[in-house]
Amino acid sequence: MNNSVISTEGFKTNLYAIFLTVPLNKKEVTINSLIPAVLRRGTEKYPNQLEINKKLEEMYGASFNCGVDKMGDYQVLKFYMENLSNKYLPEKQNAVEFLKELVFNPLIENDGFKKEYVEQEKENIKRIIESRKDNKSQYSLDRCIEEMFEGEMYGIYKFGNVDDLEKINEKNLYEQYKKIIKEARIDCFSCGEEVEKIEIPIERSKQEQVKCELQEHNIKNKEIKEPMDVSQGKLIIGLVTPDKPKSVVSVYNTVLGGGANSKLFQNVREKASLAYTAGSSYVRRKNVIFIKTGIETANYDKAVEIIKQQLEDMKNGNITDDEFNSAKQLIIANLNLIPESQEDLISYYFDQKLYDENLKLEDYIANIEKVTKEDIIDLAKDVKLDTIYFLHGQERSEA
Amino acid sequence: MKIIKNQKINETVYIETLENGMKIIVIPKKNTKKKYVIWSTKFGSIDNNFIDPTTNKEIKVPDGVAHYLEHKMFENENGVDSLYKMMALGLDANAYTTNDHTAYLFGCTDNFYEGLDELMDFVQHPYFTDENVEKERGIIGQEIGRYDDEPGWKLYVNAMDCLYKNNPIKLDIAGTVESIAKITKEVLYSCYNTFYHPTNMVMCISGNFEAEKIIEEVKNRLLPREKMEEIKRIYPIEPKGINKKEKEANMGINMPMFMIGYKDELEEDKVKEDLAIQIIFNSLLGKSSKVYQELYNEGLLQTSLDSSYEYSKTYAHALIAGESTNPKKVYEKIKETIANEEISKEDFERSKKKIYGDLVSEYNDVENIGRMYLSDAIKDVNSMEYIDKIDDISIEYVNEILRKLFKENESIISIVK
Repeated sequence: MNNSVISTEGFKTNLYAIFLTVPLNKKEVTINSLIPAVLRRGTEKYPNQLEINKKLEEMYGASFNCGVDKMGDYQVLKFYMENLSNKYLPEKQNAVEFLKELVFNPLIENDGFKKEYVEQEKENIKRIIESRKDNKSQYSLDRCIEEMFEGEMYGIYKFGNVDDLEKINEKNLYEQYKKIIKEARIDCFSCGEEVEKIEIPIERSKQEQVKCELQEHNIKNKEIKEPMDVSQGKLIIGLVTPDKPKSVVSVYNTVLGGGANSKLFQNVREKASLAYTAGSSYVRRKNVIFIKTGIETANYDKAVEIIKQQLEDMKNGNITDDEFNSAKQLIIANLNLIPESQEDLISYYFDQKLYDENLKLEDYIANIEKVTKEDIIDLAKDVKLDTIYFLHGQERSEA
Repeated sequence: MKIIKNQKINETVYIETLENGMKIIVIPKKNTKKKYVIWSTKFGSIDNNFIDPTTNKEIKVPDGVAHYLEHKMFENENGVDSLYKMMALGLDANAYTTNDHTAYLFGCTDNFYEGLDELMDFVQHPYFTDENVEKERGIIGQEIGRYDDEPGWKLYVNAMDCLYKNNPIKLDIAGTVESIAKITKEVLYSCYNTFYHPTNMVMCISGNFEAEKIIEEVKNRLLPREKMEEIKRIYPIEPKGINKKEKEANMGINMPMFMIGYKDELEEDKVKEDLAIQIIFNSLLGKSSKVYQELYNEGLLQTSLDSSYEYSKTYAHALIAGESTNPKKVYEKIKETIANEEISKEDFERSKKKIYGDLVSEYNDVENIGRMYLSDAIKDVNSMEYIDKIDDISIEYVNEILRKLFKENESIISIVK
């Protein structure tokens, strides 16, 4: 059991979290993603959402959130409870009890979840999956990941797929829930002032170590163009980074596309005026960087050329001191902000625990400070372009 | 200096109006390393027609000027862009334009005073040339294009078009590709000289500061400006009642979105009215309401309704937004609920507790505090009034607002499919 307390001062609220972690698995991804959705519908003590929400409001606006996330090759079921800390509460409230009730004491009927809830949530997940295309930015990134990691765990969409839903019913979903509660890795966090530790109310006979090795990835060299009715094209480029210290890759990524002083922002947006947004993000746990920009469909070739030139420039060591220093400053400034948000604190420590690094924030910052320009240029030589994905509309003819 | 203390939440606010007319609001926070400053002029997308106080001449400017000006303020004569300079200092710097103000801001843990130097320097030193104004046109054109693909934005603009006949709130904040084509450096300078005057500006600062000291720091960085009379803004006359009942847009999205609106023409204390509306929305349509549960169980709603109340000096409206496979059916149900229900004592008390919790939670983060005090100050409201006034709200008052604003008022709906 991993239950931690993170003490903070100056917040008006406390935040509690329970994370259930399993390796991503094509067969179980859909059924797992349904679990939080059904759990939040009712517990033994609070059998429907009306009762749950009334209780939360009575607690002076406590909030309960849950969902599924993909962290590297893991699927994580997340449950959060936030409430006012005791100082600001006219009467004490038991937030931990309520969170535990929601995760570990679901409403059970005839040895299964409530049928009505399961059917409704199946329908909801189906709609979420079918509405993926509504958010063009997210959709284009997800599609690039799917193409780049085709056949690999990381290529799996976190909500799964519509076809799997048919086979799920209140009985087998409950069985899956019991299995997850027993076998998943469980992490609990309590963050705030005078917070209590979360003790899990169940016996765990099998303390399995949930662990997945980083899956081997083969360069795909894909170029995918997908037409859709959009007025602005979304260009996503996936890069594979070598297995070097993450602090070095992090600085590389920030020089390339992490903010207004980055090469992408300066060259794609400021110099060429091709885009409003141009940047990149680094998925540390998968050794990949995604470049993202929104451009006119007709400017595709021009944009790809400019982006490739930036990668080339970094290989050739064309990095100014300003670019390098401001990238480091930006990363450190962002790391310094982590203690200012309870959610970010929990996310940071959870990630560190999950990957067995247990690096303190100050050590993490020290690692960034140590990175040199030579490290970046050295790394740049081994960064490989993997997949280019372009979601585009019709070319506009200027009137 | 005005000092407002609140024992319940243990916060104090300092408000100072300088001789030159600028307002500074400081909300000190101990136990945090983060510092936040936001500096704003009351110049937004709706201010496209005004009297220049120095010449007394009426001026009309193309739509989207306030936003265009925001982009160009970062430009300097030496070619350095102030935004990048601030980011290179590790500051989280940004700017934005709304319908009634433009704001420049940054948050940080280190280098605060270097950042304040830069912020106050570039906001007080415009540098526009034909070339740098021209260069921006393509970037803003792409930004407008991005909004065009944003269903949520279309939904909102169409709702405003239903509610208002003439009020410029229904225009796109960034203007259109056609309107921004007419923007020149002369237009930008004219707007700058009028609206970026201390009498028209507000600054909010939050973080581990001593109020007197930080106000002194700000004063030392202000350049002298000649006194200016208040700017007369000319807004088209808005007739009573709504413009049209509904508007639908087809954007090929899978899950239709809707926004229901009520135009507010009441003369009320807006803070009290806002709180009453929050109680109404939470009691009748919130997650703990009967109607929401029914809509959810019927599969008509998947996520909770997003209700809000927006007001400024020129407009006020209550909005209910959501996503549904059948927006019209949800609309009927909501109208029926509003027509037939009253707020019960139990719902009233519970909703008040929830809203109190929400108000206190706002004080978790200096950035949130700064933004909240700023946007309220633009409307001449001090955010602390909310916590002060919530205890005074009675159930009778809430039911009165329910009747006047919702039951006896015509509603509109905007749908994006």
